[in-house]
Amino acid sequence: MALYNFKKIMVVPTAKDFIDLTLSKTQRKTPTVIHKHYQIHRIRHFYMRKIKFTQQNYHDRLSQILTDFPKLDDIHPFYADLMNVLYDKDHYKLALGQINIAKNLIDNVAKDYVRLMKYGDSLYRCKQLKRAALGRMCTILKRQKQSLEYLEQVRQHLSRLPTIDPNTRTLLLCGYPNVGKSSFINKVTRADVEVQPYAFTTKSLFVGHMDYRYLRWQVVDTPGILDHPLEERNTIEMQAITALAHLRAAVLYVMDVSEQCGHTLSQQLELFNNIRPLFANKPLIVMANKCDVRKISELSEENQACDRLLAHRVDTKMKTKKVHDVLNRLHLAVPTKRDQKNRSPFIPEGALLRRKAMETNAPKRKLERDLEVELGDDYTLDLQKYWDLMNPEEKQDKIPEIWEGHNIADYIDPEIMKRLEDLEQEEELRAKAGEYDSEEESEDEEMKEIRQLASQIREKRKLKILSSKEKDTQGSRMPRTAKKVERATLEKEMADLGLDMTDKDDSHYARRSRSLVRKRKREVSAPPTSRTRSQSASRPPRDQSGVRDAKMLKKVKTMMKNSQKDMNQQGRKGESDRHVFDVKPKHLFAGKRKSGSTSRR
Amino acid sequence: MRIEKCYFCSAPVYPGHGMMFVRNDCKVFRFCRSKCHKNFKKKRNPRKTRWTKAFRKSAGKELTLDNSLEFEKRRNIPVKYNRELWSKTMEAMKKVEAIKNKRQARFIMNRLKSGKELEKAAAISEVKKNIHLIRAPHAGQAKQLEDKMVQKLAEDVEMDE
Repeated sequence: MALYNFKKIMVVPTAKDFIDLTLSKTQRKTPTVIHKHYQIHRIRHFYMRKIKFTQQNYHDRLSQILTDFPKLDDIHPFYADLMNVLYDKDHYKLALGQINIAKNLIDNVAKDYVRLMKYGDSLYRCKQLKRAALGRMCTILKRQKQSLEYLEQVRQHLSRLPTIDPNTRTLLLCGYPNVGKSSFINKVTRADVEVQPYAFTTKSLFVGHMDYRYLRWQVVDTPGILDHPLEERNTIEMQAITALAHLRAAVLYVMDVSEQCGHTLSQQLELFNNIRPLFANKPLIVMANKCDVRKISELSEENQACDRLLAHRVDTKMKTKKVHDVLNRLHLAVPTKRDQKNRSPFIPEGALLRRKAMETNAPKRKLERDLEVELGDDYTLDLQKYWDLMNPEEKQDKIPEIWEGHNIADYIDPEIMKRLEDLEQEEELRAKAGEYDSEEESEDEEMKEIRQLASQIREKRKLKILSSKEKDTQGSRMPRTAKKVERATLEKEMADLGLDMTDKDDSHYARRSRSLVRKRKREVSAPPTSRTRSQSASRPPRDQSGVRDAKMLKKVKTMMKNSQKDMNQQGRKGESDRHVFDVKPKHLFAGKRKSGSTSRR
Repeated sequence: MRIEKCYFCSAPVYPGHGMMFVRNDCKVFRFCRSKCHKNFKKKRNPRKTRWTKAFRKSAGKELTLDNSLEFEKRRNIPVKYNRELWSKTMEAMKKVEAIKNKRQARFIMNRLKSGKELEKAAAISEVKKNIHLIRAPHAGQAKQLEDKMVQKLAEDVEMDE
């Protein structure tokens, strides 16, 4: 039953939109290509399909509208009455009826034209038939424009109605306008109804929910009712009346004692008497609101109302036949007392203390915040004062944590002194046993000499290896005798080896050999005396030509040196010299990755 | 504040230095520098990487089992502050440190002692084999011969007289 699913009604499109929608759907969802040379049954089938498709769409949509909108006979009389009040039952039924008629008409049109299509003998004829059919269907719908608009408005309003459950526990607030019904509901529930000083602020019903005795209660706020006969009431008041009439609720008739609403107490009483017949069979509470003199708290009013309603409901339930089923299931089990010991419920001590503390105004202890306020700028949060130490005077100590790369916390041990003693004893024993005595190198002179000789040998070897590496092995290899051995080097080498080379003048290698004897004496040649020589001798040298005096010469020399400075500094021969002597200097690219930055590799 | 140990090389990681890596199984790895971190990422085993303390300890190059090393141990239950205990601990720490260093040095010295013997033997063999590089075999012999001759002459002269 679509009772309270007023929000689930499909959107009712306007007539124009509806037509456009359906026609475009037909165009998209049916095949579009047809040629006149096709077989006639194929052409007929093609156009029949289009007509049927359009008809199907209209039919579906309209049926959906008809089923979605609630039938006033099927829903709860409260809602039926409310809808009648708001939308006029006749108009509503008429609109839906029109839609129904339209649907039937469309079906008939489609049926007729499909039948006619059987006699279409050419593409052109079939096409015209289809066109006519679709046109007629669309015209039918165009005539329903007003109904569709009205239904759309109804749908929108319906979806915004408050969901009042007519079957559950309800409290109904009624009374004159501006007596304080909306304020009451705002206070008691989480509803946020507009409260304003002018009358008829509340124009429709509002629902709020509250909890009492572990049950959910609906509180319904109504627009105010004025005192005139039923026929003259307007829509807004009729809503209130409807609610009163149909909802089985506890009625709270709110009266404004202070007469701030603009009506005297007697007028309010008059109204009360007038609508009294509506209160039949419902628990009634008269609520005196806005009372600043008397202390009737509204809470007790509400309690009473709820209790009364509950009792009322229980009574009615008892009267129905369901009572026996319920009674069978209800049974309160109480454990039997096995002895006379009193077993009262347990309340922990802390809870009792706290309860006592709440009641008495005991002076609170000084908070950190108070201290902060007192000290102002000098305040520092010192959590060390809350520490629980064995000697409280140590609370402000600065505790050392690190010493020379070791964490002190790693050494903390209550028995550390004992262990240290053991260690020291052990160390003493070891020292006594001679473990720590440095062994003297009892080496004799001989050993020292041997060591020295060994080091010399090693050095000599290395030098020999280096000099051998410097040899040019790729070039031409000359026999040893090609190079002349100098006497001095030979004598030096042998002296290094320890031999005595002091007077070896007449040794075989020192004597001048016959080659020297046989050399003839060369005569000293005379210098050439030609003219060119003498001329070149008389010309001034280049760096002195054009220079007037010594001062200028000096300046010229400095100029020359300055111009050469840059090139010399860069070590370049000239401007075009771009030679780099060391592209990857070893000191920047070699070596181990020690502690430091490694960003320059 | 704590000085942690680098997972890879066991160096001290001071606060504000190094990197910490937390794995999906909630195991925490601290590194003292990017060198260790990169080696770890390359999945190198610190016990096989020669320059780490882990290698040195596992290869027996440094003192591992000793009483003085038991003093520094990470304790999971903190002890409440007590000035006396703390000051005593600080003194004890210094003494333990001294003893520990002495013992570690002694250990290394003992290890290197055998090298001295080898060195001696190497020197002797070196000299034996290659003495010819720095000394001619008949180096002082000429002088000796001369001295001998002089001596003999002197004797002859004496005998004559």
